[in-house]
Amino acid sequence: MNNLDIPATSQTPVVCFNEETQTLSIVGECYPENISKFSSPIFSWLNSYLECLEEQVVFTVNIELVYFNSSSSKMLLDLFDRLETAVSEQQKNIVVNWIYDPENESALEYGEEFKEDLNDLTFNLVEKEI
Amino acid sequence: MLEKLYEFKQMHDQCGVMLCFSGYLSQELMTGIGETLRNKLKQEEDSNVVLKVFAIFVEHAQNIIRYSAEQLVSKNEDQTLGGGILVIGKEEGHYYVSCGNSIQNNKIPDLNEQLTKLQKMSKEELKQYYKEQRRKETPQDSKGAGLGFIELARKSEKPFEFSFDFINEQFSFFSIKTLL
Repeated sequence: MNNLDIPATSQTPVVCFNEETQTLSIVGECYPENISKFSSPIFSWLNSYLECLEEQVVFTVNIELVYFNSSSSKMLLDLFDRLETAVSEQQKNIVVNWIYDPENESALEYGEEFKEDLNDLTFNLVEKEI
Repeated sequence: MLEKLYEFKQMHDQCGVMLCFSGYLSQELMTGIGETLRNKLKQEEDSNVVLKVFAIFVEHAQNIIRYSAEQLVSKNEDQTLGGGILVIGKEEGHYYVSCGNSIQNNKIPDLNEQLTKLQKMSKEELKQYYKEQRRKETPQDSKGAGLGFIELARKSEKPFEFSFDFINEQFSFFSIKTLL
């Protein structure tokens, strides 16, 4: 499995996969000029990863974003939809943790709105420990 | 311009301008201005206010970069520059972000209809509409997700205000102001 390790920039989050824990982390801020240019390597990695993912293995996705713009919000929904399809159609075992800073009023609200739009994907709202 | 500069500055002060940019805006430049804005705001406001002003600033700035009729594509990089004006300030205790750029006259009817519709929506309606639009395929002529104005309406304390000023047969100047 190819590794995924995209370093953060001032406008994009760090995106990395830890093979030991089977965890994908997206941490930082997201408001690039061209969202599809940023997200396409992530989606191609994800597609090949999901193909090989065995049913008994739990794939964890940790998302911790301080700020993201409206086009990134669409990209995140596409990401969750992709994961949800893998759960509902291929019985994959996936957990998404939406990690929010309790002092950031919008972070929890955005997480709740994603959760409302998802049915089969385990989507946890996790308060960040300070 | 030298004689007018102080007058220009005074006018800014009267309007409570904290930061003003006029010219061609790029994503890089926007990021730099955004950082300056956050650093300045952090000294006076709590982190939620800082993020809210910043979020509104980004949506407005990216609208200029993407949709201004004055476009430049830099030669070496695939970076777009959009011409416009962006003002962040405070009046009567409320932060505002105002932005303007020229647009083609034939784009006015659709934009006018879309913004008028958003102006009339309640916060709950805006939330539902945002979620509906987010589910849709991105419109073809949109370089983002087409959600920017909805996001602005949701973040805005009062409905945003906007106007179109006639420039010539082909172009008008589009202005929009969001108040926090």
